[in-house]
Amino acid sequence: MKIIKDKVASLSFVALLMALTAAMFYAPTASAHGEKSQAAFMRMRTIHWYDLNWSKDEVAVNETVTISGKFHVFSGWPESVDEPDVSFLNIGIPGPVFIRAGSWIGGQLVPRSVALSLGETYDFKVLLKARRPGDWHVHTMMNVQGGGPIIGPGKWVTITGSMSQFVNPIVTLTGKTLDLETYNIGNIYFWHAVWYAVGVAWMWYWAKGPIFIPRQLAVASGKANTLISAGDKKVGIAFLVGTIVANAVLMGTTNEAYPVTTPLQAGTMRGIIPLELPVPSVSVVVDDATYRVPGRAMQMSLTITNNGDSSVRLGEFMTASVRFLEPNVLEDETGYPDDLLAEEGLTVSDNSPLAPGETRSVSVTASDAAWEVYRLADLIYDPDSRFAGLLFFFDEAGNRQMVMVDAPLIPSFI
Amino acid sequence: MSASQSAVRSRAEAVAVSRTFDWMILFVLFTAVLGGYHIHFMLTGGDWDFWSDWKDRRLWVTVVPIVAITFPAAVQACLWWRYRLPIGATLCVLALLLGEWINRYMNFWGWTYFPINICFPSQLIPGAIILDVVLMLSGSMTLTAVAGGLGWGLIFYPSNWPVIAPLHQPVEYNGMMFTLADLSGYHYVRTGTPEYIRMVEKGTLRTFGKDVAPVSAFFSGFVSVIIYFLWHFFGKWFAGTGFIADDAS
Amino acid sequence: MAATTESVKADAAEAPLLNRRNIVLGMLLYFVFYSWVRWYEGVYGWSAGLDSFAPEFETYWMNFLYIELVLEVIVASALWGYIWKTRDRKVMSITPREELRRHFTHWTWLVMYGWAIYWGASYFTEQDGTWHQTIIRDTDFTPSHVIEFYLSYPIYIITGVSAFLYAKTRLPTYQEGLHLQYMVAVIGPFMILPNVGLNEWGHTFWFMEELFVAPLHYGFVFFGWAALGAMGVMNTEVMAIGKLIKKDLV
Repeated sequence: MKIIKDKVASLSFVALLMALTAAMFYAPTASAHGEKSQAAFMRMRTIHWYDLNWSKDEVAVNETVTISGKFHVFSGWPESVDEPDVSFLNIGIPGPVFIRAGSWIGGQLVPRSVALSLGETYDFKVLLKARRPGDWHVHTMMNVQGGGPIIGPGKWVTITGSMSQFVNPIVTLTGKTLDLETYNIGNIYFWHAVWYAVGVAWMWYWAKGPIFIPRQLAVASGKANTLISAGDKKVGIAFLVGTIVANAVLMGTTNEAYPVTTPLQAGTMRGIIPLELPVPSVSVVVDDATYRVPGRAMQMSLTITNNGDSSVRLGEFMTASVRFLEPNVLEDETGYPDDLLAEEGLTVSDNSPLAPGETRSVSVTASDAAWEVYRLADLIYDPDSRFAGLLFFFDEAGNRQMVMVDAPLIPSFI
Repeated sequence: MSASQSAVRSRAEAVAVSRTFDWMILFVLFTAVLGGYHIHFMLTGGDWDFWSDWKDRRLWVTVVPIVAITFPAAVQACLWWRYRLPIGATLCVLALLLGEWINRYMNFWGWTYFPINICFPSQLIPGAIILDVVLMLSGSMTLTAVAGGLGWGLIFYPSNWPVIAPLHQPVEYNGMMFTLADLSGYHYVRTGTPEYIRMVEKGTLRTFGKDVAPVSAFFSGFVSVIIYFLWHFFGKWFAGTGFIADDAS
Repeated sequence: MAATTESVKADAAEAPLLNRRNIVLGMLLYFVFYSWVRWYEGVYGWSAGLDSFAPEFETYWMNFLYIELVLEVIVASALWGYIWKTRDRKVMSITPREELRRHFTHWTWLVMYGWAIYWGASYFTEQDGTWHQTIIRDTDFTPSHVIEFYLSYPIYIITGVSAFLYAKTRLPTYQEGLHLQYMVAVIGPFMILPNVGLNEWGHTFWFMEELFVAPLHYGFVFFGWAALGAMGVMNTEVMAIGKLIKKDLV
């Protein structure tokens, strides 16, 4: 019985190794960044990224890519996510495959966390410098304290070359030029090795003689005092004094070598300036909204009023980074990520130009597999079944207006 | 006396047996302490220890010695009182640093590609030598807690300074001032660790001018004294050899 | 009866006190296996482990998880069952030399336990930090968790309980009752595994970022302290072995 059990166990182990080794020959492409696991309402009702541009989709090591665009901080921010009083413009990449050479909101460098205001729109830019070759999914991303990462759209960028070529030259305020990629590493290794050797020497001094059993027997028989000799004490004093003196001397020599040092820089940055967008002349009321589960489609009944002086048409609905376009009005020319773009995803029951002063009720349907693929359909399982998004209207001259919608969503299962 | 009544055949064999056990025991003690101490340390002081842009003058200096004196105190309590071995603190710290260095090199650098100059561990060995030698010379837990614990806290910053000072040089970058450590933290993207998570000195109402680190070190030493006492007793408890009733028998 | 005969036979055959080969092979087994695991993580963490909704995640990580869980249950039952089933029912009447030999075997188990603790509690636990601080947390079964929580922890639990069972079933020293610190040293680190429940609950409902020093993680810290129970085991062992060889040693 035992032999059979052992065989089963060992064969299972061999099978595991074989199966996994075989699987290795299949090389998959690197996947996305985990945005799909985030609750749909969180992606729909927090930060809306738009007008995004990735300057390149292939770069060599040491070259840069710029990601720029705008983000709107949704005024109907959900209760379960802390308001973005402390937010950090991050970038979603798998480790430092790029370095973040710069990031700006409203023209202000934002290496630290910032305070954002609900209902405002900001422009941003992130400058990345390629470091590690591969195909990487590069996402815009905002971290909100008490809310976690809010991930924007991601696009593939290929880095070519070799990581060993990467350099990160910096000039300090004292005039030194150095490569931050490798700076100080030798010094770190050296001092850690020195002190580790001192520790091992102390251990070795005690471990070279009998350690446990004879010493325990001596202590148990009342001879504990014989176990530390005068020689041991001298060695101990040498270690103690040596350690203290060495540290005192090193502190002094280090201060001489680096006379100018400053504390780490920290603190939330406030006063970030939002974009001044004109008040939209189009107003939209959501009469109702349903999500039809079998059809992967969201249908909204909207009452649209044009208070402006030129006629407008609805061109785009955008939510959680997915763009549903009305092909008769808008075509994407920015190279927006395919999987997030429904080029013919928006149908409007009557999308003839809405004249100034006119009010019209229309039925708008946003349908695409992205509802499923990006797990936006899971909104119906959220504890707060509301949706939100941006509607973009265009006049005949191509001028664009952005209108926010935010309403309850009723699922339809038939 | 028949062979079956004696465990060993000769004095030479007894010595060999004792010596073999020495190495096996030392290995197990080293690895068990390494596991326990590392998990304790990384989850109570880890973030300060992981990143150079967390190694500040206030919280790093304060927190790391306090949370790190725990296991050294406990292991000293066992090794000193039962074996008169003054190596408890050094053993713990060597174990911890070995575990940390292996991970920083194999994983922080080898898996996620952070340069070592942003993710090296804190230096703790000088403090451990002080604890062990003070215990050996004094044979007193109280003196080790007070003098050793204070020394442990006070020497932490100086013993790390040769390694971190170069990273505290100032840089002007895109119109703002950074230290090199800040700049590393900004450049080498940590997608899961946004900047606001960082707990470092952000400026306070202080009366000591720019001399913040000594105040932090002194406070850290003071709390280390208290933690030493506490963990020395924990160590004695963990070193116990008692049995509890065996219901199965 | 059979057990007594076995003891006598072992003595007569004069097996070596310590089988060094077992230590070397055992340590090599863990080392080679974990090196392979690390290599697998290195390749498939990045290529298939970033999006838990992707089909390749299922292939490379969820299947890994299912297979390892089944294997762990099988190995644990087989190993613990075997140690218990072949227990020595006349443990108090073994010869001193056999007892010494068993102490060596026991320490072979303990060396494996220490080695397994290192990989689980140190190597793969801090590695998990490396992973979280780099990527977006998107599943409880992210690649580093599949390895850390559900592979390296069960392996040290299986090893630790085996060491405990070996001592309890074969060494006179442990017949007095249940050795408190041995239980602490085995059950404490075991409790780190159920504590994963707290961790995942907190990260699901509380925060997604990775702050290692967050109070949410203190459950791990508390149970990590239990590794110090190894000192109690060490002391008991030193006294027991000392008793066996004392008269020849001093």
